[in-house]
Amino acid sequence: MCPVMMASPILVLLAVGAPVLAGLASMVLPGRRTLARPLVAAVGPVLALVLLTIHLQRHGLSTNGTPTDALAWVPSLHLDVSFLVDGLGTFFALLIAGVGVLVVLYSRAFFGPDDTALARFLPTLGFFTSAMLGIVLADHLLLTVLFWEMTSISSFLLIGWDRDDPEAGRRALQAFVTTGLGGLSLLGGVLLLGGTTDLWRWSEVIGGAATLDPSGAVAASFALMFAGAAAKSAQWPLHDWLPGAMRAPTPVSAYLHSATMVKAGVFLVGRMLPVFGVLAAWVPLVTAIGTSTMILGAVLALRQHDLKRIFAYTTVSQLGLLIATYGMGGATTSHGDPAIDWDLTQIANHALYKAPLFLVAGALGVLAGAKRLPDLFGLWRRSRSGTRASLLVLLLAGYALAGGPGTLSFVAKELFFDAVRHAADGRPVLALVGAGGVIAAACNVAIFVRLATTILGRGPGLRSDEAPNAPTNSGPITDRWSILLWLPAALLVALQYVGGLLPPVWNAAARPLEVNRHAEAFADGLPWPWEPFLHPGLPLLLSAIAIVGGTALGLSPRLRGERIDPHSGLWPAAYRGILRGGHRAFHSVQTGHLRLYLTVVFGALLLGIGWAAWINPDMLSTPDSMSPLESPTGLLLGAVVCSTAIALPLVEERVVRVLVLGASGFAVVGLYILYQAPDLALTQLMFEIISVILFLLVLRLLPPLDRRPQVRVLPRLALASVVGLSIGWMTLLAGHAAEQRASDTPTLGTFFEDHSLEGSVITNGRGGEGRNIVNVILVDFRGFDTLGEITVLATAALGVWSMLPSRRWLRDEPVQSATTEDGP
Amino acid sequence: MRPFLRRTRWPVGGPIGGTSSVILRTAVRLILPLTFLFAVYAALKGHNGPGGGFIAGLVASVGLCTYRMSYGYQAFHRLVPLHPRWLVFIGLGLAVGVAALPLAAGNPVLRSAATSIHLGNADLHLVSSTAFDLGVLMVVVGVAIGMISRLDEEAER
Repeated sequence: MCPVMMASPILVLLAVGAPVLAGLASMVLPGRRTLARPLVAAVGPVLALVLLTIHLQRHGLSTNGTPTDALAWVPSLHLDVSFLVDGLGTFFALLIAGVGVLVVLYSRAFFGPDDTALARFLPTLGFFTSAMLGIVLADHLLLTVLFWEMTSISSFLLIGWDRDDPEAGRRALQAFVTTGLGGLSLLGGVLLLGGTTDLWRWSEVIGGAATLDPSGAVAASFALMFAGAAAKSAQWPLHDWLPGAMRAPTPVSAYLHSATMVKAGVFLVGRMLPVFGVLAAWVPLVTAIGTSTMILGAVLALRQHDLKRIFAYTTVSQLGLLIATYGMGGATTSHGDPAIDWDLTQIANHALYKAPLFLVAGALGVLAGAKRLPDLFGLWRRSRSGTRASLLVLLLAGYALAGGPGTLSFVAKELFFDAVRHAADGRPVLALVGAGGVIAAACNVAIFVRLATTILGRGPGLRSDEAPNAPTNSGPITDRWSILLWLPAALLVALQYVGGLLPPVWNAAARPLEVNRHAEAFADGLPWPWEPFLHPGLPLLLSAIAIVGGTALGLSPRLRGERIDPHSGLWPAAYRGILRGGHRAFHSVQTGHLRLYLTVVFGALLLGIGWAAWINPDMLSTPDSMSPLESPTGLLLGAVVCSTAIALPLVEERVVRVLVLGASGFAVVGLYILYQAPDLALTQLMFEIISVILFLLVLRLLPPLDRRPQVRVLPRLALASVVGLSIGWMTLLAGHAAEQRASDTPTLGTFFEDHSLEGSVITNGRGGEGRNIVNVILVDFRGFDTLGEITVLATAALGVWSMLPSRRWLRDEPVQSATTEDGP
Repeated sequence: MRPFLRRTRWPVGGPIGGTSSVILRTAVRLILPLTFLFAVYAALKGHNGPGGGFIAGLVASVGLCTYRMSYGYQAFHRLVPLHPRWLVFIGLGLAVGVAALPLAAGNPVLRSAATSIHLGNADLHLVSSTAFDLGVLMVVVGVAIGMISRLDEEAER
């Protein structure tokens, strides 16, 4: 950790910023540029990859948890910009930027020649990519939270992409609220952790994990942070937003809701594993949530017909599996190692088949107008090359979904079952995770079987009740770039088979990034595809059960109807409940009656004064040295003030009331003059004049006075009298206290007196350079307050001008120079 | 593009406010210059004697409001050809500018500076806070006459 070797954060910062900058650049291209826009936007993720590679070549992977240097940002919040480029972060950055490039190119084909859509879509996507890169590379906890919220915002914008679809808006809101609340929970956890341990960076937290006290605040912050991760990664019971988010355009579903954003929660759990993995709550909580989500998602996926919803629920299921994988990472094997292996490969595996599935589902929507599985019945035979290529990719990716031998997915399943077996050595109850894994895998196999039989139009495939849509091989919005509809997906699927069939290639790429490599079986890397069959074990047996059972399930006529997720009612009910409660609370508090507001305000004031008097009963005793007859003039003016105050409610006419109020004010002016406060007197005088003018103006606009007999005058009279007397008493006490204070006690008043003209040692010899203390306080000592006050004044005036727009103004007539009236 | 500080065309027409009282109109014509004079005096002198930007702003506003009430809309507009919002913007900008200027020298916001100029046998003592105070004055005048004349329009309708 010598300081010379520390890495500059600039390259990483640029890498994080590149996608959004490129997205914005693509937006401002003039004219109709349906090809240049995606190309410019694709430069962003490519640049991010290049910059990250340069950074890695210069400084290497941060294997010992050393972050880059920090750029100070908000030092008072301990917030600075530094990055942690370790295996986990780098892997996710590669995934995000890599899939990002493909999705940008795919969006060109998906939106077709719709230039405005591209101009709007690409910057938003770039924003999301940058936020996502920020999450996975940030070292500072608060920086992670910041980027986390930015992904929520960009996800909201992208789900609600279709502005004319109210359902899309509702779903965007649901996703935003769910993940946003999760973000708040994460923020709470981060603040709790940082506040109690004073560790604000992942590098510090991971490094100091051993010294954390595994109880109290640390456990609570773990629970809060895990809640945030679970909301983002659509874990039960908060998973409903993810299927709903399928209202988004397909590039968004493929990128955000399968490959990257939903993995942010998985990433966070992976980051938290070295820190909180030792907590007693880690394994039960994380594994239970993950496993139940895994089973639930798989079973629900089986009962969907809409292509995107099928894949959404399998995503939920797979996210549960990933969370459960990390959950078991807190358990130890019989050798004392964490029961987790090649977790990044596990994550990559999902992205490499799920993103293609979504991409092709969208492509089929464009090419064949098919959005539901029954629409695809026999499509293979009806279609030509472009659609066939998409269908082929769909089948290949579906085979990977099923975890068939020869794919990376098959190996990933072996890894998972192997980890379960090791974890269950110490905790037999974890065998249930394996059972859940078999159920989920069987459902995935069944889904693939249905997909294949339907597309090929053979066997018990799903059939639409209506006549199938006529196959449209060249739809109206396809052009020669339609090849991009299936090419990106094909590239991703190819990687699945590279990982499955040529493990040395995958090992060479993935091994440096993988931190968790413990089990002997995978110590040398992923096995050749035939090796599991040469050394059959429990994992292979479980895989076989899943494949056989799943095939049977897929071919059987049972469990084929569409079924609605029972959790889908939770969100609307909660939303309606919150709205209703808000309305109720609003109407019970905001009645629109000024009298009620005043009663509440005065009541609270009296309670406060009464509480103070209860604590300090001296407040109620008469100050000793009071001489009421000190100044006859003051008494006279005071009597004027009192009598005008009493007269106010007795007078009927509004104009007279205004004048009586003015009289009261002028009497106060007299008091100021009497006690030698010319500034106050002048201010009050002008103020009285202006308020009388204002009142007179407003009076003409008021409705006629309501002269109905006032009910219940007495309680209000009592309240008014008590408030008036209390305030008067408090004023008396305050003035008296100032007099009583010993003259040598340093107070703010004496400070201002001493320093308004010339400075002293306290102020480094700087004074206010003025003899008028009031003014020096206003413009110098308390200048900031004054600045704030005039800002408030200006804002209020702007409010008046905008809420009372002048109708004369709108006519915009020229000024007439010759009129009858003269100025002074 | 609308030029900054364009001479705002204050529209005319419609019912013209104002009073027919000759006494009030004559008195206001006599008083208004004195009001301004006093406002300027109070604003400049405020650092050492009674006064200050806020008070001066109120004094000027009272004078302008009475003028508007007695002479009406058009005459008022000839006297103050700018929309009052410009007074607010310029005043606020001046105050913020004076507040931010010390930052350039590495000092904290609103650090005041003072200097004396010798004019013959008298000293003219200049304090940067006075500029700040002038900003306050303009905001107060702008807000007061802006609000009152807008309400007056409502009342006249």
